[in-house]
Amino acid sequence: MPTVLIVDDEKNLLELYRSELSADGYEVLVASTGKEAVELLQKKKPDVVVMDIRMPEMDGIEALGKVVARHKNIPVIINTAFSAYQEDFRAWAAEEYVIKSSDLTELRKALKRVLKKSSSSSP
Amino acid sequence: MKVLTLILAGGRGERLYPLTRDRAKPAVPFGGIYRIIDFTLTNCLHSGIRQILILTQYRSFSLEKHVQLGWNILCTKLGEFLHVVSAQQRVDELWYQGTADAVYQNLYILQQIRPELTLILSGDHLYKMDYRPMLQFHMDHCAELTVATLPQPKELSRHLGVIEMDRENRVVSFQEKPLNPRCMPDDPTRILASMGIYVFETRKMVRRLIEDAKSDSQHDFGRNIIPKMVESGDKVYSYVFRDPRTLEPMYWRDVGTVGSFWQAHMDLLGESPAFDLYDPNWPILTHEIWAPPARIMPVRNRGNGEIFDSMVSNGCVIEGSSVVRSVLSPNVSVEAGAEVTDSVLMEGVRVGRGARLRKVIVDKRSIIPAGRSIGYDLEEDRRLFTVCEDGVVVIPADSILE
Repeated sequence: MPTVLIVDDEKNLLELYRSELSADGYEVLVASTGKEAVELLQKKKPDVVVMDIRMPEMDGIEALGKVVARHKNIPVIINTAFSAYQEDFRAWAAEEYVIKSSDLTELRKALKRVLKKSSSSSP
Repeated sequence: MKVLTLILAGGRGERLYPLTRDRAKPAVPFGGIYRIIDFTLTNCLHSGIRQILILTQYRSFSLEKHVQLGWNILCTKLGEFLHVVSAQQRVDELWYQGTADAVYQNLYILQQIRPELTLILSGDHLYKMDYRPMLQFHMDHCAELTVATLPQPKELSRHLGVIEMDRENRVVSFQEKPLNPRCMPDDPTRILASMGIYVFETRKMVRRLIEDAKSDSQHDFGRNIIPKMVESGDKVYSYVFRDPRTLEPMYWRDVGTVGSFWQAHMDLLGESPAFDLYDPNWPILTHEIWAPPARIMPVRNRGNGEIFDSMVSNGCVIEGSSVVRSVLSPNVSVEAGAEVTDSVLMEGVRVGRGARLRKVIVDKRSIIPAGRSIGYDLEEDRRLFTVCEDGVVVIPADSILE
């Protein structure tokens, strides 16, 4: 089963993602700040990270940079309520960019695409 | 078209040691009163380029000081800037891993400025170039990357990026420092070399830098980014740097080694120098050291003080001695009976009575004692100094010899 790390500072959203994606068959890890996610990645190696941008302690842009530097093979999906970051050069390091919603349809599609791509590119 | 210029000035310059012992390569003094970076900065100025960042990493204090003292000439009120950006570990806890990584780690600045084109320059090359025709060429060809090139002798290929282009100047192959280079179609003795000057369509560059950051790579423009772009079919073009009137290749030198650094000084001399610093249409700017005029004086029974085919800066005192085919920075003194030949003496160097120097580079403030000979017995010199393969001896800064 693929493991997904959800990074978001909104507790109720984290719970929503956890229950929905667990029901889809994913193993779900959660972190509520970028810093927490970066620390968790020192111990666990998920197949994909879903990253919010606006978070306390360390925002998603900075955390994305650290994930790329330290775990080149772990793809990241940006999941934010703001479309403006789509044009931010630093956000281009993410594989996908999804506008956050309580409807998970777009996120589910993005997860499938990213996991398919990483399984086909891994040796 | 908004253009941001990045000058890469972070290399260690190990092959220029000991001149780079206490300074980055672009800060190494050159041509009497200049630093190497002055030539690239002057090119920017004469090209109307006014938005410039210098990316530094190793031993940057001397460079920062020079830029602050000599180049505080742009007007921020008009949107102009010239900033020195030190390595900041903004992305992660790592220094720059290569030239491409230096730019990747500064994506946040590109994001703030959002230039349409990014001009990448090297802070350690000697040449006089107006970048505007190259930028125009880039736009005319709707290129994603334009690499400035010029013909060079085939023997230099192991130090250079080698380009092969088609009739429309589209780059078809790029080899970085090859031992067996592909030569120019009409001249098997020469290669078409990359000058390390790139114009990128910024968005394309950012995508390629991110891809590179995620892959196992040396994170280098020459080794990784450019070959990848050529292979992937990106629109990469070669802009051949020629004299617009004669179409002859222009002077360009990568002063990567002690030998090439010394040779570049010799290129300043002679009746019609290969590299002319006296062109009124292309004054080179720098931070000037204030000193009285150079003084050449006779010493009784030791001669008049003779200078032949040399450059002598302010503050020098040549007392009854001989200076031949040499370049002297400010405040150098050469005492009675001394002979300085084919040499480069940096600021504040003192050559004692009767001392003899041949093919020697003496870094700042060093003192050559009376009667000492250097450059005449290389075996002996090797015991104490760096002697490069071309037989040039280097005396490090602040040396006090016995």
